[in-house]
Amino acid sequence: MRKNAVVNTLSNAIRVMASIALVAAVALQASAADAQTKSQQGRDKGVYVPTIWVDPDGCEHWVMDDGAEGYMTPHTTRQGIPVCRRGNVCGVMNSDQFFATNSYRINKQGKVRLAEFFQNTGAVSYIITGHTDSRASDEYNMRLSYNRANSVAAIAASTGARIADVRGYGERMPAASNNSAGGMAKNRRVEIICIR
Amino acid sequence: MVTACAFGLTACGDYEGGLGGGYSSDKSYDGGFDKKHLSQLQAGIWVDPNGCDHWIIDDGVEGYLSARLDKYGKPVCSGVAPPNQTVGDFKGGSNVPDPN
Repeated sequence: MRKNAVVNTLSNAIRVMASIALVAAVALQASAADAQTKSQQGRDKGVYVPTIWVDPDGCEHWVMDDGAEGYMTPHTTRQGIPVCRRGNVCGVMNSDQFFATNSYRINKQGKVRLAEFFQNTGAVSYIITGHTDSRASDEYNMRLSYNRANSVAAIAASTGARIADVRGYGERMPAASNNSAGGMAKNRRVEIICIR
Repeated sequence: MVTACAFGLTACGDYEGGLGGGYSSDKSYDGGFDKKHLSQLQAGIWVDPNGCDHWIIDDGVEGYLSARLDKYGKPVCSGVAPPNQTVGDFKGGSNVPDPN
């Protein structure tokens, strides 16, 4: 009898310890899967489904109203490119019409046309980006496209236009395929973005 | 809440459903006095200390701020105003009175 009682007490103790361990394990799982903090314990369980607001430029933003708080951030692709419903490119200069091959000097007729463009457009400011086709080296094309963009920006500035930025993207932002002569001609360009 | 409104606290109008149950996961609407879908928000521009533009919206008790980006994803620094200056009626989209 006495021996049995000892065995019983021991097995009870083991059972209690086992159940404590079990409860601890379940609690640990629950805290990982369920609400991690107070912020996930409300009616929404911490799930925030946004909607889209389109800015005056035509680009999308994620937006959320959480009662007395508002949140907003640009909608970009994973590459960081904004998702827009329209563009603000207000002029695409065909480089063949303005520059000789490998040159960033704008011909006389081109200078007149560009000056007229900037005088008549009247945007708040302009972003000028140069582009090339994929012939020659990447490094060379980066330099040539930047020099061409700067030539355009200089004419814009001479008319009193405000230049927000000047960039050369070389062959890295093609507008068309470089597999055809027509595509390459399309890629040889200077884009003018109008900021309204 | 009734007391808060009676004393003229501006935030009371937008405290829709905030007491007790909390909000649903659908964050696409503004409730309260100035209720609307968030696509209707009216923005202005705030120029940051570096001179770059952000869309700014004061919608009653909610405030929004989001970067203005060009098609390449770079900040637009238009020079429309000096740093820290705002441009446009970014408080115009809400009828909730706001002391500032």
